[in-house]
Amino acid sequence: MSTTTLTDPRAVDGVRPTPRPAMATYARLDLRRQLRDRIGMFFVVGLPTFMFLVFGLGSDDPVGSGNVAMYVMISMAAYGAVTATTSVAGSAATEQVMGWGRQLGLTPMRPVAFVVAKAAVAMSVAAVPVVAIYAIGAATGARGDWSDWLLSGAVVWLGSALFAVYGLAVCLVFRGHNAAGIASGMIVVLAFLGNVFTPMSGFMLDLGRFTPLYGYVALARFPLTDGWLPVGGRDPLWLPVANVLAWTVIFGLVALWGVRRSRART
Amino acid sequence: MTTPAIRATGLRKAFRSTDGTPVVAVDDVDLVVQPGEIVAFLGPNGAGKTTTVDMLLGLTTPDAGTIEVYGTSPADAVRLGRVSAVMQTGGLLNDFTVGETVRAIAALHGRSDRVEVVLDRARLTDLAGRRVEACSGGEQQRLKFALALLPDPDLVVLDEPTTGMDVGARQEFWRAMREDAALGRTIVFATHYLAEADEFAERTVLMNHGRIVHDAPTTDVRAAYGGRTLTFRPPAQAVGPDGIDADWLSRVHEALAPLGVTDVDVSAASLEAAFLALTAAPELEGATR
Repeated sequence: MSTTTLTDPRAVDGVRPTPRPAMATYARLDLRRQLRDRIGMFFVVGLPTFMFLVFGLGSDDPVGSGNVAMYVMISMAAYGAVTATTSVAGSAATEQVMGWGRQLGLTPMRPVAFVVAKAAVAMSVAAVPVVAIYAIGAATGARGDWSDWLLSGAVVWLGSALFAVYGLAVCLVFRGHNAAGIASGMIVVLAFLGNVFTPMSGFMLDLGRFTPLYGYVALARFPLTDGWLPVGGRDPLWLPVANVLAWTVIFGLVALWGVRRSRART
Repeated sequence: MTTPAIRATGLRKAFRSTDGTPVVAVDDVDLVVQPGEIVAFLGPNGAGKTTTVDMLLGLTTPDAGTIEVYGTSPADAVRLGRVSAVMQTGGLLNDFTVGETVRAIAALHGRSDRVEVVLDRARLTDLAGRRVEACSGGEQQRLKFALALLPDPDLVVLDEPTTGMDVGARQEFWRAMREDAALGRTIVFATHYLAEADEFAERTVLMNHGRIVHDAPTTDVRAAYGGRTLTFRPPAQAVGPDGIDADWLSRVHEALAPLGVTDVDVSAASLEAAFLALTAAPELEGATR
């Protein structure tokens, strides 16, 4: 009531200050909402942590410049980070379709600001499993050069942004309530194909090299493994780089097509 | 001469239906609303109310015609916080609490100072900690209303605002709206509860097939089609499967003409009847006017 004056507040015509959206406040509230989602956070943090403990804990066999625990730690952190960006970006697309977008359309916020805020939220959520699993790894005997830790952590965290584009693309193509679930579910399949969970060999490995998670995870492990695979053989650096670039273009184009299609309907 | 709150001329919008044929949702609509007016939009589903509201808010661009809100484009009026809306299809996020929803949208308006005010206005202060998904339909509708008040708008557009509310909640909602109107806000609302238009609006705009069928003070709308009504039952043989026998009806006309009766087929004692008459049979409009 404090802002309502007794004189007619509408009498002054036209002189209103242009409002300045407080995007940081919005992003903070949105981030808190994402972190509170227990089921979502179980798949982002709980499951990859559990898998690291099962497959990686105390495995001191040497891999490249470190050990197996380090190798599994990078893989699981990557899986958690990717699940985070996929689900945040996916839910952003679903929110838009489900009507929250219309609510936001009635605020002075520009669409670009919304994308930036969502990206900040997605990257913040993605940092949670990376920090958690790396901390557990450090405390339980994962071993590697300091540059392995730094570079792999940076690639895992920053590279997960690619899967924000993936989540967006999937949710724009499969519209509706369960689109974000489809996107996250497919990540599990892609993680197996992408050599994230268990080392593959033969035909499955040849096939897996063309799937989107393969390049990203191989790149994250590169400082540690220098491209050597657990089953023998070595990927040259250009292979994961080419994989990541190709999938960036593919996801980008699909997302762009999805945005165009959703605009055309209104 | 003050700037009108809304000035629309020759507004037109067509959509492509799923089989590819264009459907005209809004057809040549002219409308001027002055600041401080309370206007009801009435019309059946598909009359073009929501499309008109969308254009008013800059969410849809008209194919032809112009629309100004307080002398600027709808998008600018929204950006300045001069116009806001409670939309039929506007969604809420289920996993936010009521308070967080208000704070989030307040942040985007740059009006975090108004959070407490609008919570109080919409009588949501006690529910601030509740999750949106745990709120009833009426409570969610009140939350949308609170969001609409955040920018302290000069014009509020309400699209079917009382959907999902029970009678008590509806009355309370309109009581809150009346308080706001008294402060000088312009209010435009679409509804199919005719009693609400009758009770609350000073002016009623009837829409059908994308056109404005009637635009007058609400009391005039009722009066024009109201008055006393005499009802009688025709003999059984005069009623066929296609309605009343035309010959018999013309004999009724002849018989009643000396008594000064001019119209026997349309009789409307309420706004509801006027509404039904105008929307169900628009070709009668010329005859009854």
